[in-house]
Amino acid sequence: MNHKVIAVFLVVLTTGCVTSRIEQTREAATGITADEAMVILGRATYSERQTEKSFTDCIANILAKGPNPIRLIPDKEFKDNLYPWFEPRTAPTSADELGRLFAQPGVQDRINEANVRYLAWIDGNTVTVDSGGSMSCTIGTFGGGCFGMSYWEEDASYEASIWDLRNLVSAGQISADANGTSYLAGLILPIPILARPGNAACKGLAKQLREFVIGDQ
Amino acid sequence: MWEFMRHLKYRTLPAVLVLVVGLTGCVTNVMVEGTVPVPLVAKIPATIGVHFSDEFKTFTYKEVIRESGTWKIDLGRQNLRFFRNLLSSMFDGVEEVPEPPFQPGEMQHLDGVIVPRIVKYGFLTPAISGLKFYSASIQYQILLYDRGGDVVGDWNIVGYGKSEGGSFGAHAALGEATMLAIRDGGARIAIEMSQQPQIITWLEKLNSTGVE
Repeated sequence: MNHKVIAVFLVVLTTGCVTSRIEQTREAATGITADEAMVILGRATYSERQTEKSFTDCIANILAKGPNPIRLIPDKEFKDNLYPWFEPRTAPTSADELGRLFAQPGVQDRINEANVRYLAWIDGNTVTVDSGGSMSCTIGTFGGGCFGMSYWEEDASYEASIWDLRNLVSAGQISADANGTSYLAGLILPIPILARPGNAACKGLAKQLREFVIGDQ
Repeated sequence: MWEFMRHLKYRTLPAVLVLVVGLTGCVTNVMVEGTVPVPLVAKIPATIGVHFSDEFKTFTYKEVIRESGTWKIDLGRQNLRFFRNLLSSMFDGVEEVPEPPFQPGEMQHLDGVIVPRIVKYGFLTPAISGLKFYSASIQYQILLYDRGGDVVGDWNIVGYGKSEGGSFGAHAALGEATMLAIRDGGARIAIEMSQQPQIITWLEKLNSTGVE
């Protein structure tokens, strides 16, 4: 019992606070059957930022499990099957381009074979917006330790654009924003107090995305 | 935990890198690997020859960076696999031929000959760019010869790729960035080649002269 109390205490102690907000815009009715699939793709541009692979993997892991699992096609498999149409510089940037894409030879057939109903583009990233403090660690003959404190504030901002590949329209968007500050305190041992805004944004976005896609069926 | 590790990384990574580089003789060998997808494009109605030079087949890039030692990127083998598959999927018929210039009449059974070349390869590490990514670029030159051996098309394409450095080792991240650069260049070739004015003129000439 004591171990459990200590474990809970440690988890609470080392978890920083995160504030998050989820917003949704619906443009079309949705619904998905058990044999229909969805693809999660991260937007990649050639600017200095792009959606982290770990974030899209996090969303895919959540959607594929749970009470209403959604059949997912792995992003790599989808991109290979539809090469060269979903590479960073050739992928459609809006649902309006789907008609032109589906007119390309073989594209419609490949989508139909895999029975992909929805494509969710994830765009955004997690950035460190502020950091400060200082901590130093020393080690000597008679031992060592860390003293001081440092912190860093992270902002996670992501948007999912959901495209209905059967009706070739945009079904809607979901945005997730989360913010949190982590601390690293040096009290002989370095004690991290971690906020995980990226993780909070992932969980919030995945939950809302599942509800959005399942719709009113 | 990832954020924590990333924060610590800025403080400890330089020291770790110095240690690792020192222990491995200052050479980072990068192998480029990945899938070779079949492009989903309409075939160009022509039978072509293609010449892959030895330099193209075995292309290796080497650069010495003062802070991180020698980088050796072996992309020739994967690039060759990719181009063989790419061109075979883009044309009605493809066969590999010797290097131009051709003997008179040697290429009469073909509609033309394509010679791809890697003009330039370059890469950036996070330490150089200040970003979180390893990035790579490859500049290709595609020369098109008609069956008489004259150059009728000269086209340059640049492929870009980038990969997060966090979850991979440096060599794996740069290998993936390079693979993505090959894919990007290949995607542009697959989609845009048939739209190039020089290719359109060449195809019109082929159609107007029939079997010539």
